Amino acid sequence: MAALLEVEDLKKHFPVNQGVLLSRLGKTVKAVDGVTFSVDEGETLGLVGESGCGKSTTGRCINRLLEATEGKVHFEGQDVRKLHRKELKAYRRDVQFIFQDPYASLNPRMTFGEIMSEPLVIHGVGTRRERQDRCKEMLEIVGLNPEHINRYPHEFSGGQRQRVGIARAIMLRPKMIICDEPVSALDVSIQAQIINLLEELQEEFGLTYLFIAHDLAVIRHICDRVAVMYLGKIVELGGWKEVYNSPSHPYTQSLLSAVPVPDPEKQRRRARIILKGDVPNPVDPPTGCRFHTRCPIAQFPLCAEEEPPLREMAIGHQAACHFAKPFPIPESKMGGEVPFDSQPG
Amino acid sequence: MAPLLEVDDLHMHFFTRDGVVKACDGVSFTLEAGRTLGVVGESGSGKSVTAMTVMRLIPEPPGKVVSGDIRFKGESILSMSEKDQRKLRGNRIAMIFQDPMTSLNPVFRIGQQIAEPLRLHKDMSRTEAWAAAVELLDRVGIPQAEERARNYPHEFSGGMRQRAMIAMALACGPDILIADEPTTALDVTIQAQILELMQEIQQRTESAIIMITHDLGVVADMADHIMVMYAGKAVEYGPADEVFYNPLHPYTWGLLESLPRHDVDDKGALCPIKGQPPSLINLPPGCAFSPRCAYAKPECDKKVPPLVEIDNGHLSACLFAGDIDFICQYENRVKRGEDSGGDV
Repeated sequence: MAALLEVEDLKKHFPVNQGVLLSRLGKTVKAVDGVTFSVDEGETLGLVGESGCGKSTTGRCINRLLEATEGKVHFEGQDVRKLHRKELKAYRRDVQFIFQDPYASLNPRMTFGEIMSEPLVIHGVGTRRERQDRCKEMLEIVGLNPEHINRYPHEFSGGQRQRVGIARAIMLRPKMIICDEPVSALDVSIQAQIINLLEELQEEFGLTYLFIAHDLAVIRHICDRVAVMYLGKIVELGGWKEVYNSPSHPYTQSLLSAVPVPDPEKQRRRARIILKGDVPNPVDPPTGCRFHTRCPIAQFPLCAEEEPPLREMAIGHQAACHFAKPFPIPESKMGGEVPFDSQPG
Repeated sequence: MAPLLEVDDLHMHFFTRDGVVKACDGVSFTLEAGRTLGVVGESGSGKSVTAMTVMRLIPEPPGKVVSGDIRFKGESILSMSEKDQRKLRGNRIAMIFQDPMTSLNPVFRIGQQIAEPLRLHKDMSRTEAWAAAVELLDRVGIPQAEERARNYPHEFSGGMRQRAMIAMALACGPDILIADEPTTALDVTIQAQILELMQEIQQRTESAIIMITHDLGVVADMADHIMVMYAGKAVEYGPADEVFYNPLHPYTWGLLESLPRHDVDDKGALCPIKGQPPSLINLPPGCAFSPRCAYAKPECDKKVPPLVEIDNGHLSACLFAGDIDFICQYENRVKRGEDSGGDV
C-alpha cells in the first residue's frame, strides 16, 4: 500500500528569544530533531511520549500550522512544504486537525452550526441551506441532537464539545485527521465514548489518523502502529503488538512499566523500572543518545558519544538503541516486563 | 480505640445563586493508621470537596456542612474552635495538592515554604527550621538539597515541585496525608517516581494516606481500600482487591469496562458509560446513576439507594447490589466480551 503521508528527517527548531544574551548565542529549542515516518492510507499511527518530546510540534508541522525548519513532508506524493496559498488550502481540506482542549478550540461566540459550517464556507461548499442540512446530519453522526445546531459551546460538557470539534474536522470529508490529544481532557467514561466514535468514523469515512497522545493505554487501543518519541526524536517505531509486547528501547520499556495497571494483583507482581531524574532541557540535549542520562543500561563512553540510529529489530519494528537486539521470533510478553539485555547488539 | 479518621454521613452543600450544589452528599469512611484509602470518581463527583472538608478548607459561605461529622482520633473536627483546627491542619493532617505549579508561592524560596509549618507548629527557630527543611528536601530525593532550598519554585521542574510539596506536607510528621490528584499533572515516568516516594514514606512513617485520583491504575498501585464516588455520593466502598475483582456497583462496572488497558494481550471494544454525568444542582430522582445505568430498573428512579454492606467490609449503594441475578447479568456481559476477543 502506498504511504499517504511521508515525513523525512523533519526538524523544527525554535529560537530562544528570552534575554539578549541567549538570542545572540543563537540557541534554539530543538523541539523536533529529525523525525522520519510514514502513514499508510486507512491506518492509525500513534505518536506517544512525555510532555516536551515534540509530538504536538510534529503534528503541527505536518499541517503547516508551524513551518518546519528542515526536512520533507510529502502527502500523496506532493511536497507539502512547497505548497502555496491555493494549494495549501486544498491540502488542508484533506488534512484536518482535532485539538486537545474542547474548551479552548471552539469559539464561544459562535453557535455549533456556525462552527461546523465554517470549513464549508471557507472552501465554498454548498448553499446556506445545504450547509445547514449537512451540519444537522453531522451532529447526528457524532451522536448529538441535530436540534442543538443553534446552541453555544458553553451550554455543553467537555465530551459533547469534543464531538463538535470532531464534526468540524470531518465536515469536508478529509483523507487524514491529525488528532492532538483528543481525549486527554476528558473523564474515562466520556473518553471511551470519544475513542469509540473516532473508530466508527474511521470505518465509515475511510479516515487515516495521526493520533498524538501521552496515554499509552489509549494509544495502544486505537493505533495500528506506534512511534515513541523522546526529546525530539523517534526512539522506537513499530506495530502496536510489537511495541507493547516486546519493546526494544529501554525508554519504551520504562515508559510501559511506569504506567500503573488497573489490576491490584498484577500491579503488585510487576517489575518496575523507575527512571531517575527529569527530561533534559531540549535547548541543550545530551550528546550521543539523548536518553543516556536517564537510561538504566547506558554504557559509557559509547552512549554519550555516539548517537544510535533507528535500526530494524524485526520487519517494520525499529529502535534507536545501541543495545537493542533484533528479535528472532516475536515473543508474546506482557508490556513492561521484558528484562534488559545489556549485551551490545 | 477510635479510628484515626472517621467521616460519618458527611453532607457539604454549596448555596449558590443557581441553587444548592450537593457536592458531597452523604459520604462515610474510616481510615486506620498506615493505610491508604483511594478515592476515585470523575470530575465533579465530589472527591476533592470531601478532602477539602476534612481539611476545613472550604469557605463558608458559600459552602456549609449540612449534616454529618468528621472525627479525628475520636474528636469532632467540625465542632472544634478555629484555633484548634489550625493546630491540626498542616500538622496532624497535611495535604498535597494537584498542581505543583500553582500551589507553591512563587515569591518565597522553597526552603522557606517548607520551614513555615515547622516554625508555626513546632516552634522552631529560623535556623533550626531551615536545617530541617534541607533535610526534608534531601529525604524526598532532591539532589544538592542545601543549594536547592534556596531556589524559587520557578527554578524547579514539575516533578521536583511535587517533591517539594510532599516535603512540605511531611514537615510535621502528619498522621494523615491527603493527596489530591498528586500525579495528574506529571508525566508517567515522573508519576512513577512520586508514587514510589509516597509508598516509601508511608512504610517509614506509618502515616495514613487518602489518595484522590481519577486514575484507576494509580489506585490499584497504592490503595488498601477504595471508595468510588459518583455525583457527590460514595457508591462503592471496600478493600481494593474486592472492588477490582468483585465490583458490586454498576458505575464501577462501567468505569472498569470503559478503560483502555495496555497490559492485556488483545484489544476489545471499549464499553463506555452512555450519557453525561448529571448536574449537581439538579440531580435525577432516585439513584443518581440510573439514567446512565445499563442495568437500571423502574424502581431505581423512585428510591435513593443507601450505602449498605453486602459482603464483609464491602459496601455498595445500589438497590440490586448483592442480588445474584443482577451480578450474573454483568458477568454474562463481560463473558460475551471475552468470547469475542475482548479484554476484561
